[in-house]
Amino acid sequence: MSLAPLRPRYRESRYAYATVLPVVLLVALFTLYPIAFALATSLREVVLYRPWSTPFVGVKNYLDVIRSDFFLGAWQHTLTFAAGAIPLATALGFAIAHLLNSRTRLASFLNVAILLPWAIPTVISGIIWAWIFNSSYGAFNGALYSLGIIDSYVPWLSRPTTAMLSVLFAHVWKEVPLTSILYLAALQAIPEELYDAARADGAGSGAVLRHVTIPLLLPTTLIIVVYETMVAIVTFDLLYVMTGGGPAGATSLISYYVYNSMFVAFNFGQGAALAVLLAAALVVLITLYLRVLRTEEIYAG
Amino acid sequence: MNGRHYAVGVLLIALVVATTGVARGAAPVQLTFTVWSYSNDVILDNIKKFEAKNPGIKVTMNDFAWEKYTDVMTARFVGKTATDLAYSSDHWLQQWAAANWIVPLDDYFPQVATYKPDFAPYATEGMTYKGKLYGLPYYADTIIFIYNEDMLKRAGFTTPPATWDDVTRMALAMKEKKIVEYPIMFQFQDITPWYIEVFLSMVYSFKSYSMFDASLNPTFDREGSAALKVAQWLVDGMRKHKIINPASLETTEIPLVKAMGAGQVAFAVLPKYNLADLNTPGAHAQAGKFKMALMPGETHGTVGFVRFYAMTKMAADRGKDVRDAAWKFLEYFGGRTGGEFVVVKRWALEKGLGFAQLPLYKDPAIRAAINKWGNVTLEEQQSKVARAKEALTPFWGTWSLEFQKELNKALLGQKSALDALKAAAAKWKEMRK
Repeated sequence: MSLAPLRPRYRESRYAYATVLPVVLLVALFTLYPIAFALATSLREVVLYRPWSTPFVGVKNYLDVIRSDFFLGAWQHTLTFAAGAIPLATALGFAIAHLLNSRTRLASFLNVAILLPWAIPTVISGIIWAWIFNSSYGAFNGALYSLGIIDSYVPWLSRPTTAMLSVLFAHVWKEVPLTSILYLAALQAIPEELYDAARADGAGSGAVLRHVTIPLLLPTTLIIVVYETMVAIVTFDLLYVMTGGGPAGATSLISYYVYNSMFVAFNFGQGAALAVLLAAALVVLITLYLRVLRTEEIYAG
Repeated sequence: MNGRHYAVGVLLIALVVATTGVARGAAPVQLTFTVWSYSNDVILDNIKKFEAKNPGIKVTMNDFAWEKYTDVMTARFVGKTATDLAYSSDHWLQQWAAANWIVPLDDYFPQVATYKPDFAPYATEGMTYKGKLYGLPYYADTIIFIYNEDMLKRAGFTTPPATWDDVTRMALAMKEKKIVEYPIMFQFQDITPWYIEVFLSMVYSFKSYSMFDASLNPTFDREGSAALKVAQWLVDGMRKHKIINPASLETTEIPLVKAMGAGQVAFAVLPKYNLADLNTPGAHAQAGKFKMALMPGETHGTVGFVRFYAMTKMAADRGKDVRDAAWKFLEYFGGRTGGEFVVVKRWALEKGLGFAQLPLYKDPAIRAAINKWGNVTLEEQQSKVARAKEALTPFWGTWSLEFQKELNKALLGQKSALDALKAAAAKWKEMRK
C-alpha cells in the first residue's frame, strides 16, 4: 500500500480547484461580499450624514421597517403588480411565440421587430408611456377621443387604479418581447416527430397543445416565471419615471422604499434591511415555484 | 575644501532654496468647485474672468445633474473627494451643516457681515443655520401666482384675484363660460420637490401661517390652521367645484408650464422664473398673455428660496492660502466686485434668474430686463413679503414626500383634509424621534 496511486487524482482535483478559483473569487467579490456587506449594514445604524457614528443596533432596522405604515401597503402594491405582470407577460409571450413560430414570410422580420421594446432603456420607455398616458396631450386619450369612446381626456396617471393599470401595461409591453423570444426558441427545439406522432394518434390541435407543447415548454416556463417574478418585484425605474410612485403612493412598490430610505433619507441601515427582506421574499417565492413546477415529477407523472 | 569651493557650494544651496521658495510661492492655489448643470458656459466664463483677475488661483469645475446633485455631493463628502466650494440650497443646509460638510462663513470671514443688510430676509434665513451664515447667494427667487390675463378678461374680470375666494369665484366663472374646463392646475405629483413649496406659499399668504411652534412641534394639523384652510380649499377646488384639474396629481413643473402656455390653464402657482419662459415670444401659443399677481391671501406672503455658494470643511482645513482664495471666489461670485454684484447681475440679465441682493432692484438695466416679461415693482413687493421655509431639519426632505402623499390622499377623496394633515403631523413626530 502506498500513496503513489492517489497522487494523480489529488493533482487532478487541485487542477480543477485552480481553474475554478478565479471565477469563485469573482463571484465572492461581486456577489458574496456585497450580500455580506448589506447584511452587516442592515444591523447597524448607518445614516450617511452622520458617518462618524454607525452603532450596532441588531434587528432594530428590520423591526422599524416592518412596523412602519408603508410596509404592508407597499407589499400589497408590489404583489398586485406582480400578480398582473407575471401571468400577462408569460401568457402573451407564449401566444406571440406561437404566432412567430408559424412559418410566414414575415417571420424573420417579426422576430427582430418584436425585440425592439425590450431593447429600449426602461427609463426611456417610462418617459414614452408617461407621454402616451398624459392627461392633456397623451396619444392614448387622443385615440379614445377620436373613436368617440371618451367625452373628455381621462387623467389615467392621476387615479390609483388606472395609474396601476397603466404602469402594468407599460411593464408588460417591455417584458413580452423577451418572454416571446424565449418561448420561440423552446418551441423551435421541439422535434416535429412528436407532433406527427400525436396527430397520427388522432390528437387535434387542442390536444397537441395540451399534451405535447405545454409539457415540453415547462422548463422554459419555469425560467420565465422566475425571471418575471424577480423583475416585477424589484422594478423601480419605470414606475419612478411614469408616476413617481403616486398618486398618493398607489404605485409605490417595495423597491421604491428601498430607494427612498437610501437616497432620500440617506438611511442606509434601513434601506439595507428592506433590501434583505426583499431578497428573502424572492428566495421564498422562487423556492415555491421550483417545488410547484418541478419538471422531472411532471414528466414522470 | 578651500574657501572658494565653500563659497560656490553655499551659493548653489542658496540658489536651490530660493528657486524652490519662489516656485512654491508662485504655484497657484487650486480650488475645486461643484455645481449642478445649468448654463455651464456662463459659469465657465465667470471662472475664466475670476482667474484673470486673480492669477494666483485656479478653479476646476465639476458639474452634476440637478436631480442627482444631493446624492453625488453626499457621496463626495462622505468619500472625502476634494471639494472646496459648492452650490448649495436652503433645503439641504441643515443636513450639510449638521454633518459638518460645509462651514459657517462668519467663523472664517467676519467681513461677510457687511453683506447681510443687502439680502432679502428670506434669503438670509435660508442660508443661516444656528445663527451663522453659510453662504453668499447664487440666485434667489419666490413662488408667485401667475394668471392668463386674456382668459380673465374673457370671464369679465379686469383685476387679478386678491384672495383665495376670489380665485374660486373667477375660476367658476371661467368654467361656466366654457373658457376652460379646469382653470387651475398644480404640480402635485407625489415626489415633485415643488409640491410642498407651492403648498407652503399658499399657507404663507395667511396671517397665522406657522406650520410649527417654536419647539418645532407641528401646529398645522389643528382646526383653524392656515394649512388646513389651504388643504380644504384644494380639496373643495378639486372635488366640489371641479375647478382644479384632477391631472394635477400626475403633473410636474414642465408639463404644467406647457399646459399653461397652450391655454389649458388660467391660474397657477409656480417659481417666478417660469413667467419669463411663459412670456418668451414664440415659446408658447399664449406667450405674452401671462401676468404675475401678488400671492392671493391675507398678507400676500409666499415662499422665498435661495441657492448659494458654500465653502466646505475640506477647504477650511487646507490652510490659510486656500481659505483666502475661497473668500475671493465667494466674494466675486456672490458678493461685490468694484462695488457691483457682477456675477449675480449677469445671471439676472442674461438668464432672468432672481436675486437676493435687494439693491439690484434699483439698477435700471435690471428693471428694464425684468419688465420685458414681468413686473419689477410687483416682484420687489412680493420679494419683501416672502419668507424662508420653516423647520428645515435634516429629515425635512423625507418628510415632505410623506406630507405630499398624505395630501394627495385627501385630494383623491380617500381621507379628509384634516385627517391627511394629522397623518403628516404624526410622520413628522415619528421622524423627529
